[in-house]
Amino acid sequence: MNIELTFSGEIAAMKIDGILNSENAHILQEKLSEVMQSDAKLLELDLLDCRNISSTGIGKILLFYKDFISKGGDIEVVRSSNSVYELFTMLKLNQLFTVNLG
Amino acid sequence: MADKARILVVDDSIAIVNSLQSILSISGYNVDSSFNGSDALRKIYKNEYDLVICDIEMPGLSGLEFLGRVRQDFDRSLDVILMTGYLEHDYFIEAIRLGASDFIRKPIDTKQMIHSIQELMFRKRSRDDIMGFYSHLNRASFCYEISAESFTSFAISKVFSSQLRQRFKVNSNVLNELLVCVDEMVYNAFIHGTLGLSVAERALGHDQLQALISEKLQVPEIKSRVLRLSFTVDNLENVIEISVEDEGPGFDHVSWLKQVQKEQILDIQEHGRGLSLLYHLSDTLIFDKGGRFVSITKSLLHSGKDAS
Repeated sequence: MNIELTFSGEIAAMKIDGILNSENAHILQEKLSEVMQSDAKLLELDLLDCRNISSTGIGKILLFYKDFISKGGDIEVVRSSNSVYELFTMLKLNQLFTVNLG
Repeated sequence: MADKARILVVDDSIAIVNSLQSILSISGYNVDSSFNGSDALRKIYKNEYDLVICDIEMPGLSGLEFLGRVRQDFDRSLDVILMTGYLEHDYFIEAIRLGASDFIRKPIDTKQMIHSIQELMFRKRSRDDIMGFYSHLNRASFCYEISAESFTSFAISKVFSSQLRQRFKVNSNVLNELLVCVDEMVYNAFIHGTLGLSVAERALGHDQLQALISEKLQVPEIKSRVLRLSFTVDNLENVIEISVEDEGPGFDHVSWLKQVQKEQILDIQEHGRGLSLLYHLSDTLIFDKGGRFVSITKSLLHSGKDAS
Protein backbone atom coordinates (compact mmCIF):
# COMPACT_ATOMS: atom_id res chain seq x y z
CA MET A 1 0.00 0.00 0.00
CA ASN A 2 1.27 3.45 -0.88
CA ILE A 3 -0.11 6.91 -0.08
CA GLU A 4 0.83 10.14 -1.85
CA LEU A 5 -0.34 13.39 -0.28
CA THR A 6 0.00 16.82 -1.91
CA PHE A 7 -1.38 20.23 -0.98
CA SER A 8 -2.47 22.98 -3.33
CA GLY A 9 -4.06 26.00 -1.66
CA GLU A 10 -7.03 24.75 0.32
CA ILE A 11 -7.10 21.39 -1.44
CA ALA A 12 -5.35 18.28 -0.16
CA ALA A 13 -5.02 15.49 -2.74
CA MET A 14 -4.44 11.97 -1.45
CA LYS A 15 -3.78 9.02 -3.74
CA ILE A 16 -3.97 5.55 -2.18
CA ASP A 17 -2.66 2.52 -4.08
CA GLY A 18 -2.90 -1.16 -3.10
CA ILE A 19 -4.94 -2.74 -0.32
CA LEU A 20 -5.68 -0.70 2.79
CA ASN A 21 -5.98 -3.07 5.74
CA SER A 22 -5.47 -3.30 9.50
CA GLU A 23 -1.73 -3.75 9.04
CA ASN A 24 -1.22 -0.43 7.26
CA ALA A 25 -4.23 1.70 8.33
CA HIS A 26 -2.00 3.64 10.75
CA ILE A 27 -0.13 5.08 7.75
CA LEU A 28 -3.44 6.46 6.48
CA GLN A 29 -4.14 7.83 9.94
CA GLU A 30 -0.82 9.71 9.93
CA LYS A 31 -1.54 11.21 6.49
CA LEU A 32 -5.06 12.21 7.53
CA SER A 33 -3.62 13.92 10.63
CA GLU A 34 -1.38 15.95 8.29
CA VAL A 35 -4.48 17.06 6.38
CA MET A 36 -6.28 17.90 9.62
CA GLN A 37 -3.37 20.06 10.79
CA SER A 38 -3.16 21.87 7.45
CA ASP A 39 -5.30 24.72 6.07
CA ALA A 40 -6.99 22.35 3.61
CA LYS A 41 -10.76 22.68 3.32
CA LEU A 42 -11.24 19.87 0.80
CA LEU A 43 -9.69 16.42 0.75
CA GLU A 44 -9.73 14.85 -2.70
CA LEU A 45 -9.26 11.10 -2.47
CA ASP A 46 -8.01 9.26 -5.54
CA LEU A 47 -8.85 5.57 -4.99
CA LEU A 48 -8.62 4.37 -8.58
CA ASP A 49 -5.63 2.15 -7.79
CA CYS A 50 -6.87 1.21 -4.35
CA ARG A 51 -7.89 -2.40 -4.76
CA ASN A 52 -9.82 -2.76 -1.53
CA ILE A 53 -10.24 -1.25 1.92
CA SER A 54 -10.83 -3.15 5.15
CA SER A 55 -13.05 -1.87 7.95
CA THR A 56 -10.04 -0.47 9.83
CA GLY A 57 -9.25 1.81 6.89
CA ILE A 58 -12.89 2.83 6.57
CA GLY A 59 -12.94 3.57 10.30
CA LYS A 60 -9.98 5.95 9.91
CA ILE A 61 -11.71 7.76 7.04
CA LEU A 62 -14.95 8.09 9.03
CA LEU A 63 -13.22 9.38 12.16
CA PHE A 64 -11.35 11.90 10.03
CA TYR A 65 -14.56 12.90 8.21
CA LYS A 66 -16.33 13.62 11.51
CA ASP A 67 -13.56 15.93 12.72
CA PHE A 68 -12.93 17.47 9.30
CA ILE A 69 -16.52 18.58 8.64
CA SER A 70 -16.69 20.05 12.14
CA LYS A 71 -13.92 22.46 11.11
CA GLY A 72 -15.67 23.27 7.81
CA GLY A 73 -13.91 20.71 5.60
CA ASP A 74 -15.27 18.24 3.09
CA ILE A 75 -14.18 15.02 1.37
CA GLU A 76 -14.65 13.98 -2.23
CA VAL A 77 -13.62 10.67 -3.76
CA VAL A 78 -12.57 11.93 -7.19
CA ARG A 79 -11.88 8.48 -8.65
CA SER A 80 -12.38 4.97 -7.32
CA SER A 81 -11.91 1.38 -8.46
CA ASN A 82 -15.00 -0.76 -9.02
CA SER A 83 -14.48 -2.69 -5.78
CA VAL A 84 -14.00 0.45 -3.65
CA TYR A 85 -16.97 2.19 -5.30
CA GLU A 86 -19.15 -0.84 -4.63
CA LEU A 87 -17.93 -1.01 -1.04
CA PHE A 88 -18.54 2.70 -0.34
CA THR A 89 -22.01 2.45 -1.85
CA MET A 90 -22.82 -0.68 0.13
CA LEU A 91 -21.74 1.05 3.35
CA LYS A 92 -23.70 4.17 2.33
CA LEU A 93 -20.60 6.37 2.49
CA ASN A 94 -21.82 8.01 -0.73
CA GLN A 95 -24.54 9.60 1.42
CA LEU A 96 -21.86 11.36 3.46
CA PHE A 97 -19.66 12.59 0.62
CA THR A 98 -19.39 12.44 -3.16
CA VAL A 99 -17.97 9.17 -4.46
CA ASN A 100 -17.05 9.03 -8.16
CA LEU A 101 -16.27 5.84 -10.04
CA GLY A 102 -13.28 5.44 -12.35
CA MET B 1 1.29 -21.34 -17.86
CA ALA B 2 0.09 -20.64 -21.39
CA ASP B 3 2.07 -22.22 -24.24
CA LYS B 4 3.31 -18.81 -25.24
CA ALA B 5 4.70 -16.89 -22.30
CA ARG B 6 3.08 -13.48 -21.83
CA ILE B 7 5.50 -10.62 -21.30
CA LEU B 8 4.80 -7.01 -20.28
CA VAL B 9 7.38 -4.50 -21.51
CA VAL B 10 7.55 -1.22 -19.57
CA ASP B 11 9.58 1.73 -20.84
CA ASP B 12 8.85 5.43 -21.36
CA SER B 13 10.64 5.26 -24.73
CA ILE B 14 8.23 4.34 -27.53
CA ALA B 15 11.17 3.31 -29.72
CA ILE B 16 12.47 0.81 -27.15
CA VAL B 17 8.99 -0.60 -26.47
CA ASN B 18 8.35 -1.06 -30.21
CA SER B 19 11.73 -2.63 -30.75
CA LEU B 20 11.31 -5.08 -27.83
CA GLN B 21 7.80 -5.92 -28.93
CA SER B 22 9.07 -6.90 -32.39
CA ILE B 23 12.00 -8.94 -31.08
CA LEU B 24 9.93 -10.78 -28.47
CA SER B 25 7.01 -11.43 -30.83
CA ILE B 26 9.37 -12.90 -33.44
CA SER B 27 10.84 -15.07 -30.66
CA GLY B 28 7.38 -16.50 -29.98
CA TYR B 29 6.22 -14.55 -26.94
CA ASN B 30 2.92 -12.73 -26.40
CA VAL B 31 3.83 -9.14 -25.67
CA ASP B 32 1.95 -6.29 -24.05
CA SER B 33 3.36 -2.85 -23.26
CA SER B 34 3.13 0.12 -20.89
CA PHE B 35 4.85 3.48 -21.05
CA ASN B 36 4.94 4.17 -17.31
CA GLY B 37 5.03 2.30 -14.00
CA SER B 38 1.53 3.24 -12.82
CA ASP B 39 -0.11 1.94 -15.98
CA ALA B 40 2.03 -1.21 -15.76
CA LEU B 41 0.86 -1.82 -12.18
CA ARG B 42 -2.76 -1.46 -13.28
CA LYS B 43 -2.14 -3.97 -16.07
CA ILE B 44 -0.54 -6.61 -13.89
CA TYR B 45 -3.43 -6.46 -11.41
CA LYS B 46 -5.87 -6.89 -14.27
CA ASN B 47 -4.09 -9.35 -16.56
CA GLU B 48 -1.84 -12.33 -16.11
CA TYR B 49 1.78 -12.09 -17.18
CA ASP B 50 4.62 -14.56 -16.90
CA LEU B 51 7.29 -11.89 -16.90
CA VAL B 52 7.78 -8.12 -16.80
CA ILE B 53 10.70 -6.35 -18.46
CA CYS B 54 10.94 -2.87 -16.99
CA ASP B 55 13.22 0.13 -17.46
CA ILE B 56 14.79 1.45 -14.25
CA GLU B 57 14.87 5.14 -15.20
CA MET B 58 11.32 6.28 -15.90
CA PRO B 59 9.51 9.50 -15.02
CA GLY B 60 6.90 9.08 -12.28
CA LEU B 61 7.14 5.63 -10.75
CA SER B 62 10.73 4.45 -11.28
CA GLY B 63 11.61 0.86 -12.16
CA LEU B 64 12.82 0.26 -8.59
CA GLU B 65 9.63 1.69 -7.10
CA PHE B 66 7.61 -0.41 -9.52
CA LEU B 67 9.56 -3.51 -8.50
CA GLY B 68 9.01 -2.74 -4.81
CA ARG B 69 5.25 -2.48 -5.36
CA VAL B 70 5.15 -5.72 -7.35
CA ARG B 71 7.05 -7.57 -4.64
CA GLN B 72 4.78 -6.15 -1.96
CA ASP B 73 1.75 -7.71 -3.62
CA PHE B 74 3.09 -10.64 -5.64
CA ASP B 75 6.01 -11.81 -3.50
CA ARG B 76 8.27 -13.73 -5.88
CA SER B 77 5.58 -15.15 -8.11
CA LEU B 78 6.05 -12.62 -10.91
CA ASP B 79 9.51 -12.29 -12.44
CA VAL B 80 10.76 -8.79 -13.19
CA ILE B 81 13.81 -8.10 -15.38
CA LEU B 82 15.18 -4.58 -15.02
CA MET B 83 16.70 -2.70 -17.96
CA THR B 84 19.22 0.07 -17.50
CA GLY B 85 21.75 2.10 -19.41
CA TYR B 86 24.06 2.12 -16.43
CA LEU B 87 24.09 0.23 -13.18
CA GLU B 88 25.52 1.95 -10.16
CA HIS B 89 26.50 -0.21 -7.23
CA ASP B 90 23.79 1.23 -4.92
CA TYR B 91 21.09 0.75 -7.55
CA PHE B 92 22.21 -2.81 -8.11
CA ILE B 93 22.13 -3.65 -4.38
CA GLU B 94 18.70 -2.07 -4.00
CA ALA B 95 17.35 -3.97 -7.02
CA ILE B 96 18.67 -7.26 -5.64
CA ARG B 97 17.20 -6.46 -2.23
CA LEU B 98 13.82 -5.77 -3.84
CA GLY B 99 13.96 -9.06 -5.72
CA ALA B 100 14.86 -8.25 -9.34
CA SER B 101 14.93 -11.52 -11.29
CA ASP B 102 17.64 -10.38 -13.72
CA PHE B 103 19.18 -7.32 -15.40
CA ILE B 104 19.51 -6.28 -19.03
CA ARG B 105 21.98 -3.62 -20.03
CA LYS B 106 21.07 -1.04 -22.67
CA PRO B 107 21.75 -1.09 -25.58
CA ILE B 108 20.04 -4.45 -25.44
CA ASP B 109 21.92 -7.59 -26.44
CA THR B 110 19.02 -9.61 -27.94
CA LYS B 111 20.73 -12.97 -27.51
CA GLN B 112 21.45 -12.31 -23.85
CA MET B 113 17.90 -11.08 -23.24
CA ILE B 114 16.30 -14.17 -24.82
CA HIS B 115 18.65 -16.42 -22.84
CA SER B 116 17.65 -14.66 -19.63
CA ILE B 117 13.92 -14.98 -20.45
CA GLN B 118 14.30 -18.69 -21.25
CA GLU B 119 16.11 -19.28 -17.96
CA LEU B 120 13.39 -17.52 -15.97
CA MET B 121 10.62 -19.33 -17.84
CA PHE B 122 12.32 -22.63 -17.03
CA ARG B 123 12.29 -21.74 -13.32
CA LYS B 124 8.70 -20.57 -13.56
CA ARG B 125 7.67 -23.92 -15.03
CA SER B 126 9.09 -25.64 -11.92
CA ARG B 127 6.99 -23.34 -9.73
CA ASP B 128 3.98 -24.00 -11.95
CA ASP B 129 4.46 -27.74 -11.44
CA ILE B 130 3.80 -27.19 -7.72
CA MET B 131 0.71 -25.21 -8.64
CA GLY B 132 -0.27 -28.00 -11.01
CA PHE B 133 -0.05 -30.52 -8.18
CA TYR B 134 -2.36 -28.45 -5.96
CA SER B 135 -4.79 -27.86 -8.81
CA HIS B 136 -5.22 -31.64 -9.21
CA LEU B 137 -6.09 -32.23 -5.57
CA ASN B 138 -9.77 -32.50 -4.75
CA ARG B 139 -9.20 -30.49 -1.61
CA ALA B 140 -6.25 -28.91 0.17
CA SER B 141 -6.42 -27.69 3.76
CA PHE B 142 -4.05 -25.53 5.80
CA CYS B 143 -4.24 -24.83 9.54
CA TYR B 144 -2.25 -22.34 11.59
CA GLU B 145 -2.27 -21.81 15.33
CA ILE B 146 -0.77 -18.50 16.42
CA SER B 147 -0.06 -17.44 19.99
CA ALA B 148 -1.36 -14.02 21.02
CA GLU B 149 2.21 -12.93 21.69
CA SER B 150 3.41 -13.87 18.19
CA PHE B 151 0.44 -12.39 16.42
CA THR B 152 1.75 -8.84 16.36
CA SER B 153 5.06 -9.95 14.80
CA PHE B 154 3.55 -11.09 11.51
CA ALA B 155 1.43 -9.67 8.73
CA ILE B 156 -1.00 -12.60 8.56
CA SER B 157 -2.70 -11.44 5.36
CA LYS B 158 0.69 -11.43 3.62
CA VAL B 159 1.39 -15.00 4.74
CA PHE B 160 -2.07 -16.05 3.57
CA SER B 161 -1.62 -14.23 0.26
CA SER B 162 1.74 -15.86 -0.32
CA GLN B 163 0.42 -19.36 0.50
CA LEU B 164 -2.50 -18.93 -1.85
CA ARG B 165 -0.52 -17.39 -4.72
CA GLN B 166 2.21 -20.01 -4.63
CA ARG B 167 -0.20 -22.92 -4.80
CA PHE B 168 -3.41 -21.88 -6.47
CA LYS B 169 -4.50 -19.90 -9.46
CA VAL B 170 -6.82 -17.28 -8.04
CA ASN B 171 -8.35 -14.41 -9.97
CA SER B 172 -6.83 -11.15 -8.66
CA ASN B 173 -10.21 -9.55 -7.82
CA VAL B 174 -11.24 -12.61 -5.82
CA LEU B 175 -7.83 -12.66 -4.13
CA ASN B 176 -8.15 -8.97 -3.13
CA GLU B 177 -11.53 -9.68 -1.58
CA LEU B 178 -10.20 -12.76 0.20
CA LEU B 179 -7.33 -10.70 1.62
CA VAL B 180 -9.78 -8.19 3.06
CA CYS B 181 -11.88 -11.04 4.51
CA VAL B 182 -8.86 -12.61 6.20
CA ASP B 183 -7.77 -9.23 7.53
CA GLU B 184 -11.25 -8.62 8.97
CA MET B 185 -11.52 -12.08 10.49
CA VAL B 186 -8.07 -12.24 12.03
CA TYR B 187 -7.96 -8.60 13.19
CA ASN B 188 -11.42 -8.83 14.79
CA ALA B 189 -10.54 -12.11 16.49
CA PHE B 190 -7.36 -10.56 17.91
CA ILE B 191 -8.74 -7.15 18.90
CA HIS B 192 -12.16 -8.24 20.17
CA GLY B 193 -11.65 -11.88 21.09
CA THR B 194 -8.07 -12.23 22.26
CA LEU B 195 -7.50 -8.75 23.71
CA GLY B 196 -11.10 -7.74 24.46
CA LEU B 197 -10.53 -4.07 23.60
CA SER B 198 -13.38 -1.61 24.15
CA VAL B 199 -14.68 0.79 21.48
CA ALA B 200 -12.76 3.68 23.09
CA GLU B 201 -9.56 1.63 23.23
CA ARG B 202 -9.88 0.65 19.58
CA ALA B 203 -10.14 4.32 18.61
CA LEU B 204 -6.74 5.16 20.16
CA GLY B 205 -3.93 6.45 17.96
CA HIS B 206 -1.46 3.94 16.57
CA ASP B 207 1.30 4.40 19.17
CA GLN B 208 -1.09 4.41 22.12
CA LEU B 209 -2.88 1.35 20.76
CA GLN B 210 0.41 -0.52 20.31
CA ALA B 211 1.39 0.36 23.89
CA LEU B 212 -1.97 -0.86 25.16
CA ILE B 213 -1.66 -4.11 23.19
CA SER B 214 1.80 -4.72 24.67
CA GLU B 215 0.40 -4.09 28.13
CA LYS B 216 -2.55 -6.46 27.58
CA LEU B 217 -0.21 -9.15 26.33
CA GLN B 218 1.51 -9.15 29.72
CA VAL B 219 -1.69 -10.43 31.34
CA PRO B 220 -1.17 -14.22 31.69
CA GLU B 221 -4.75 -15.10 30.71
CA ILE B 222 -4.49 -13.07 27.48
CA LYS B 223 -0.92 -14.13 26.76
CA SER B 224 -1.89 -17.79 26.85
CA ARG B 225 -4.65 -17.38 24.25
CA VAL B 226 -4.21 -18.59 20.68
CA LEU B 227 -5.79 -17.80 17.34
CA ARG B 228 -6.54 -20.48 14.79
CA LEU B 229 -6.70 -19.70 11.11
CA SER B 230 -7.53 -22.39 8.60
CA PHE B 231 -8.49 -22.47 4.98
CA THR B 232 -9.54 -25.17 2.57
CA VAL B 233 -9.50 -24.88 -1.19
CA ASP B 234 -12.06 -27.18 -2.74
CA ASN B 235 -11.12 -27.65 -6.38
CA LEU B 236 -14.19 -29.77 -7.10
CA GLU B 237 -16.56 -27.00 -6.07
CA ASN B 238 -14.19 -24.11 -6.86
CA VAL B 239 -14.73 -22.74 -3.40
CA ILE B 240 -12.49 -21.56 -0.60
CA GLU B 241 -13.50 -21.84 3.03
CA ILE B 242 -11.71 -19.69 5.60
CA SER B 243 -12.24 -19.90 9.34
CA VAL B 244 -10.82 -18.11 12.34
CA GLU B 245 -11.28 -19.04 15.98
CA ASP B 246 -10.21 -17.10 19.04
CA GLU B 247 -10.26 -17.94 22.75
CA GLY B 248 -12.06 -14.79 23.92
CA PRO B 249 -15.55 -14.43 25.40
CA GLY B 250 -17.31 -14.47 22.00
CA PHE B 251 -20.02 -12.06 20.87
CA ASP B 252 -23.78 -11.99 20.37
CA HIS B 253 -23.81 -13.10 16.77
CA VAL B 254 -27.44 -14.25 16.97
CA SER B 255 -28.77 -10.68 17.38
CA TRP B 256 -26.44 -9.44 14.68
CA LEU B 257 -27.59 -12.09 12.23
CA LYS B 258 -31.26 -11.31 12.94
CA GLN B 259 -30.56 -7.69 12.09
CA VAL B 260 -28.69 -8.64 8.91
CA GLN B 261 -31.51 -10.81 7.68
CA LYS B 262 -34.01 -7.94 8.25
CA GLU B 263 -31.83 -5.34 6.57
CA GLN B 264 -30.08 -6.49 3.43
CA ILE B 265 -27.94 -3.37 3.18
CA LEU B 266 -26.07 -2.89 6.41
CA ASP B 267 -25.95 0.44 8.15
CA ILE B 268 -22.37 1.27 8.89
CA GLN B 269 -23.27 3.39 11.93
CA GLU B 270 -25.19 0.66 13.70
CA HIS B 271 -23.36 -2.60 13.13
CA GLY B 272 -19.78 -3.77 13.06
CA ARG B 273 -18.11 -2.57 9.90
CA GLY B 274 -15.80 -5.59 9.82
CA LEU B 275 -18.73 -7.97 9.92
CA SER B 276 -20.60 -5.90 7.34
CA LEU B 277 -17.64 -6.23 5.02
CA LEU B 278 -17.39 -9.96 5.61
CA TYR B 279 -21.08 -10.30 4.88
CA HIS B 280 -20.71 -8.24 1.75
CA LEU B 281 -17.64 -10.01 0.38
CA SER B 282 -18.39 -13.64 1.22
CA ASP B 283 -20.91 -16.11 -0.15
CA THR B 284 -21.71 -17.70 3.21
CA LEU B 285 -20.94 -16.41 6.68
CA ILE B 286 -21.22 -18.77 9.66
CA PHE B 287 -20.69 -18.16 13.37
CA ASP B 288 -20.29 -20.85 16.00
CA LYS B 289 -18.92 -21.52 19.48
CA GLY B 290 -20.63 -18.50 21.03
CA GLY B 291 -19.25 -16.13 18.39
CA ARG B 292 -15.64 -17.22 18.90
CA PHE B 293 -15.60 -19.03 15.58
CA VAL B 294 -16.33 -17.39 12.26
CA SER B 295 -16.18 -19.05 8.90
CA ILE B 296 -16.79 -17.84 5.37
CA THR B 297 -16.96 -19.51 2.02
CA LYS B 298 -16.34 -17.77 -1.25
CA SER B 299 -16.57 -18.98 -4.79
CA LEU B 300 -13.31 -18.76 -6.67
CA LEU B 301 -15.42 -17.99 -9.75
CA HIS B 302 -18.42 -15.88 -8.68
CA SER B 303 -20.26 -14.64 -5.57
CA GLY B 304 -23.59 -15.19 -3.83
CA LYS B 305 -24.92 -14.63 -0.31
CA ASP B 306 -26.13 -16.61 2.70
CA ALA B 307 -25.60 -16.09 6.42
CA SER B 308 -26.29 -18.32 9.44
